[in-house]
Parts: sequence; structure tokens; C-alpha cells
Amino acid sequence: MRRALLAAGLALLILAAPAGAHPLGNFSINHLDVVRVSSDRVDVRYVLDQAEIPTFQERGVSPARVLARKRADVAQGLSLTVDGRRVPLRLRPGGRIAFPKGQGGLRTTRVELLLSARVAGPRAVTVRDDTYPGRVGWKAVVAEPGRRTAVRSDVTADDPTERLRRYPTALLSSPADRPSARLAVAPGAGTVSAPRADGAARTTRDRGGGDRFASVFERAAAGRGVLVLFLLAAFGWGALHALSPGHGKAMVAAYLVGAHGRSRHAVALGATVTVTHTIGVFALGLVTLALSQYVLPERLYPWLNLVSGLLVLGVGAAVLRGRLRHRRAHGHHHHHEHGHDHHHHHHGPSELRPRALVAMGVSAGLIPCPSALVVLLGAIAQHQIALGLLLICAFSAGLAATLTALGLVVVHVARLTTRVRLDGRAVAVLPALSSLAIVCVGLVLTAQAVPKVV
Amino acid sequence: MPRFLIAFLATFAVALPVAVLMARGGSHAAPAPAALPAAPRPGASTDERVRALQATVRAAPRRAEGWTLLAGAYLQKVRETADAGFYVRAQGAVDRALALRPEDPAALTQRSALELSRHDFRAGLADARRARALAPAVVQPFGALVDGLVELGRYRAARRALQEMVDRKPDLAAYARVSYFRELHGDLPGALAAMRLAVSAGGAVPEQDAYVRTLLGNLELQRGDVAAAVRAYRGALAAEPGYPAAEAGRAQADVARGRLRPAIARLARVATRLPLPAYVLALGEAQAAAGRRAAAARSFALVRAEIALQRRAGVDADVETAVFEADHGSAARGVRLARRAWDSAPSVRSADALGWALYRAGRPRAALAWARRALALGSRDPAFLAHAGLIARAAGRPNLAARRLAGARAGEAALGAGLRAALAEARS
Repeated sequence: MRRALLAAGLALLILAAPAGAHPLGNFSINHLDVVRVSSDRVDVRYVLDQAEIPTFQERGVSPARVLARKRADVAQGLSLTVDGRRVPLRLRPGGRIAFPKGQGGLRTTRVELLLSARVAGPRAVTVRDDTYPGRVGWKAVVAEPGRRTAVRSDVTADDPTERLRRYPTALLSSPADRPSARLAVAPGAGTVSAPRADGAARTTRDRGGGDRFASVFERAAAGRGVLVLFLLAAFGWGALHALSPGHGKAMVAAYLVGAHGRSRHAVALGATVTVTHTIGVFALGLVTLALSQYVLPERLYPWLNLVSGLLVLGVGAAVLRGRLRHRRAHGHHHHHEHGHDHHHHHHGPSELRPRALVAMGVSAGLIPCPSALVVLLGAIAQHQIALGLLLICAFSAGLAATLTALGLVVVHVARLTTRVRLDGRAVAVLPALSSLAIVCVGLVLTAQAVPKVV
Repeated sequence: MPRFLIAFLATFAVALPVAVLMARGGSHAAPAPAALPAAPRPGASTDERVRALQATVRAAPRRAEGWTLLAGAYLQKVRETADAGFYVRAQGAVDRALALRPEDPAALTQRSALELSRHDFRAGLADARRARALAPAVVQPFGALVDGLVELGRYRAARRALQEMVDRKPDLAAYARVSYFRELHGDLPGALAAMRLAVSAGGAVPEQDAYVRTLLGNLELQRGDVAAAVRAYRGALAAEPGYPAAEAGRAQADVARGRLRPAIARLARVATRLPLPAYVLALGEAQAAAGRRAAAARSFALVRAEIALQRRAGVDADVETAVFEADHGSAARGVRLARRAWDSAPSVRSADALGWALYRAGRPRAALAWARRALALGSRDPAFLAHAGLIARAAGRPNLAARRLAGARAGEAALGAGLRAALAEARS
């Protein structure tokens, strides 16, 4: 879509368009540095978008080695000067590399690396990006608000390329070719004053504009009272979030109805969901971090959805099978010991074994909740890992509270209905229906995930 | 859609000014610096000029002149950086100018320059002619006019236009074209003299100086004076540090001296910075000549990928592509491409490419006539001569072959590593 928009600006030239050619030519190596100066540190996010030909020139080299090369290029080419002194910019371990499809069946290369340096009360900061000198491409440095600083920048604070994913072609602007920035820094509240892209005026941006998460974490970390507020907010958010679709509510409710659960079962289920969800998010966060060295998270996510969809489907199928088997067994049973105690119905066939309960809770909590994952990864990116973990726990607790409440309601309503009209047939069918519902949820989740993966 | 467009433009952006420079035997088409619509303010760098003109147009977006001048400045940026982003903008600016004033001679001249560098010679010639008819007193359209005529093989008309151009304004652009015209006709001393005049006339920006100095170096190589060629390339690199065409010229000088290792190192640097097919091809041939087969195969694979990208972008019937296909790909395909090139632009270069492709496809007798046509103007281009000699030998004309090959050896220093190897083989 964006490409189509770009094209519209270019007028009616020439034929139709096979998607894919690189906007800046197949030769280009484009790089961008997003600089954030805080009172105690300088962070640089280095983004590289390498077109088809330079990527082809590196064919046969493993992604890990390409990444290692780029890291070496960046370590050598990127320099930071603070108050007249060279300060080493340290590359953080890892980095992301991906090979998006380009034109003519060829690949392009996309790399993102993080660098940082410790400083103390910087005044004048210069960042120079001398990577890939002499090569054609979009080269830019943009300044973003940092912590406890007011930055006056000689480069723009806006990145019109969306991190080198699209390239402006306005007739009256040249492709960016300015791989350095000078920043005058004073203590402040996290603002950047920067020239606009067309050089006409200056604009001031605070941290709220670009990076909402960052500011959230920062404010939370600033004071204890605020922290409590944030934990409450996370709890509330989790509670509300549980009501949005895809959180296993239907599944839990259906399960409790089908299995004739009681109050304590509902509570146990809620607790299991909390623990599982928390662990799941942590694990997923770790896996994402590890995998993101090789795969961009946006490409990883559909797979996680698929896995969770299949998991739910599996649980549903298992419950359904258990139900069916039990019915058969029950029928048999009937034959032999007819006239036996009818009470049997209430605990016998639908005995809530602890293991089944835990399995159910695990599968409900395991569905990765994107928001929670975003919170965690955001926290990690902001070096506020402890806070992130805490928020996740609060979030999960909120989630579980809603589910438990829902479960209790369901249990009581179910008991009421059972008492009112004890139609054996309906009660026998309901569990099977509920396990079918679980299967359906699993199917929907899987069906949603599949097209994104393929 | 823009991806396609830009790839398309990128391909051509550099086609005439740079890629052709390195084409076999140093045959260089249409020196392009002529088309600047107005003399830039002395001393202004291209960047300053671009910025000033962007401001001018922003202030008066309804005036065609501003857009035309801006298009010229963007084209100059393309020549200096090979950045396709500027190519797109040049095209857009010309379109704006012509939308405002469809019959503006300066804008038509600028569009002609764009069309020529896209190898759309007929459209380029048509626009140049219209511009000249609309403004008979102006010299600017003559550069594009001469280029179009030469590329389309209309040498007599080209001679008349060129004479008029030189008479009106003997500057770098005119002298460079005179030099190329003489070279095509086998007058190497005359071509050298004219190119020296172009160098001393000087360009509006350093890149133009570097360009004609590089062309001078290529002519010196043809004459066999490697030291003089290196001096010329050094001059070009002093004018425009890192100028890729001059770096490639120095690599060719190394090849001429039999020093393949430094030639490969130099070409590898050039091809890393600006992997134009011509440089990558030269690198591959040098690697093959040095016995580095795997490396050469990688280089040729890169050229093939670039050709595939060009084809996707709608470009293919190109003389260089045809010769590459004949040498390193499918000879039959080379023949098809060369025939198409001849059909769209019947120049001596197209004739040479078609003859060579036929020879590589195992049809030396059919190739003979095309080789003769390539040399019809009397060209002493060593690549043309080497092709003609090898064709004659295969067609059973030993006397003719001996004459042609002797001619090729006289200019051997300008021959790429591939043809040098073929010549050496023919000698044994």
C-alpha cells in the first residue's frame, strides 16, 4: 500500500510494477542511527537496509557471519564524541538480522544493532556514522528524546523512512546523506528540539511522542507511589484484558460446566492460569530475545500463535475424547449395575482430577498475550527488567482474577440449573458440547494463525 | 511500483556516463556532460546548486525554468553518486517543467538527456530535434542531438551537427564528442588531441573534469602508452577522489602491465563500492585470467543477477548485455539481444556485438559481414579488431585474420583480460 502511494508521487512512468525493486536502487546500502541522549548514557540504534546486489555479493555466507561482519563494520565505523572526547560506543550482544524478499527473486538484508555508552552529564554530543563510505544509499541520524535531558539537535527528530522501510521521493528533497549529528544537551525532562525535515522550522518533541512505553517505565521507576499506581494499573489492565476475545474465558467456562466444577476448582484454575501465563510470557520473552538474533519478532509471532492454537486444539480434542470414552464406559456400566445410586452422576463421571485441572489452566494461560509480551520486551529494551517482571505478574493476576470470577459465576449458575431441572440427557450432552467448544476455539486460533505463517 | 521504477532508472542512470566507459576496448559512447542547461555559478558545488534550486522552485513552483535547472542538477548528482534516488527526482522535475510548458526547449533538451541515458535513443533524438527547431540559436540541444545520431548510426548527420556545435561553442562537451567521433573513425591521434582540448577547456564541476581525464586515459591505453594513461587516471582521481571509472582505468593499466593481482584488488574495491555490471565483469575476467575460477564464477553470477534485475525492470537489448551473454552465458541469447540492439540502434557498436555473438554461437561466416560493418568507419578499436580477427580466423580467412589481429595487438593495452587471453590463444 505504501509502495503504491509512493508510486503515485512518481507519476505515470513506465509499465506495471513487479513488487520488490529497492526504492533506492539495487545497489544501495542504507543506514540510520537513532540516537537518544540521557543524563547518564547515550543509546544508538543502528538500522541497516541493504539492497539486492550487496546482499547477493554476500551470498553463501551464513546469517550469523553476516551479522558478525556488520557488527564489526559498525563497531569500526560508528563514533561518539562527548564534550570533545572520544567515548567508546559498546555494541550490545546479538542484534537482529533478516533477509526480506526483494526484486527478481533476490533477498535484501536488514540488520538492527544496539549500542550504548556510559556518560555523565553530557553537554555536547557528536555521533558520526562512517559505515559503508562512498556507497549509495539513504544515510541519516535522527535524535530521539532521552531521559532527564533537553537536547537541541542539528538533525531532524523525525524518521520519514519508518526505520528504513520506505523512502520519500519528494521532488524537492534530496535523499538523506547526512550520517552525523551534533547535539547540545542540557538537563531537562526528556525533550528534543530539532529542525523539521524540510529545514523550515524547529519542532520540540518529548518522550511521549515517540516512545510511550519508555516514558511509562521511566515515570514508574522514578517514584514509589507511582510504582504502586502502575501495579494497580497493570492488574486492572489484565482484568479488563481477560474480557477481550482469545483469552480462554469461553474455554474455561465451558470446561467448568462440562466437568461440573466447584468453586475451589474455579479458584484453582484461576491460580494456574496466573502462574502459567506469567511463566509463559517470561519464557516467550526469553525465546523471543534469543530468536530475534536470527528472526524479526514480527516474523516470529505468527508461529507462536500457531503453536498456541494447535495446543488448545489438542487440549480440546483430549477432553472430547475423554468425554466420549467415558460415555461409552458409562453406558456399559449402566448395563451391569442398573439401579445403582444416582448420586454418582455428580462426581463419578465428571470427577475433576487435579491433573486435568492443571492441564486446562496451563492451556488457558499459555496462549501468548501480545500485550503482556510487549510490556516485557519494552521493559527489557528500557533496561527496566525488574519493573517489567513485576508488571507482568500484576497483569497476570488481573487476568486470573477475571477468569476466576467468571469461573465462579459459571459454576454457581450451572449448579442452579442442575438443581432446577435435572435432565440426565442434557447434563450428559453438555460436557461433550463444552469440549467441542474448546476444539472450536482451538480451530479458530489455528485458522487465524495459519495464513500468516504460510 | 516505485521499486520497479527506480530499479529501471538506476540501471540507466549510470549506463552512459559510467558503465560504457569500461565497456570492452574502452569504447565510450556519448560523453554526457553536455546537457547542462545553464552554466552553474562558478565555484558552486553540485550540492549547493541542488539546494539553491530546490529553494528557487519552492518559491516559484509554477515556473518551468526552475524545474528544468533542478532536473539538470539532479542528473549531475546521478553522475557523481550513481544514486538512483536522484534519477527519479530528475525525471519528476523534467515532467513538471514540461507539464508547465510543453514546448520549452530547455526542458525538452533535459528530457532528451534522460532518454539517452536510458538508451531510448530514438525518443532522445526526437526531443533534441524538437528543442533545436524551437530554439535554433541555442547550442544546448546539440549535445543530445549528436549523441542520439551517433548511437543510431547516422554518422553523416552526426558529423554536421557536431561541426556546428564546435563552431558555436568549443567547450568540454563539444571537444569530448569530437574525440569520440574521431575515435570511431580510426583517427586515434585526432581523438587524443580533441580529448586534451576537452581537458584543458575544463568542466563546470570536478566530476566533468574527472570524466574527460578518464576518457583521455582510455585513449592513451589504446595508443599503448600505459604510463600516460595512468597519469590521466591520476589526474581524474585528483579532481574527484575515488572516481570509480578512473579506478577501473587504473586497474586496466595494471592488467596491461600483466599485474593481475593489484588489478583484481583495485577492481574488487570498485565493485564493492559501486557494483556496476561493467566493473564486476572486468573483475571476473581478471580473476579468470589469474586462474581464480571460483571467484570469477561468483563475479559472473553477480553480473547475471544484475542483468536479471535489469530485465525485470524492462531493460535488456543492450550491447554490453549481449556481449556478456555471448561470452559468459548463452550465445544464442546473446545473438537475440544483439539483433534487438541492432534493430533499435544500428550503430557500429551494435554491429560488433552481433558479429561477436554470432561467432560465439558457432556461426563465424554469418559473423563476418557484421564484423566488416563494425569496422566500416575505419575504427581502430582494439576490441572490434580482436573480434573481427577471431571471426575471420574461424571463418577460414587467415590473411584477413592476421591483419585484424595485428591491429588489435597494437591497442592491446586497452583490452580487457578476457580478450587478451583470447588473443594470446590465437597467437599460439
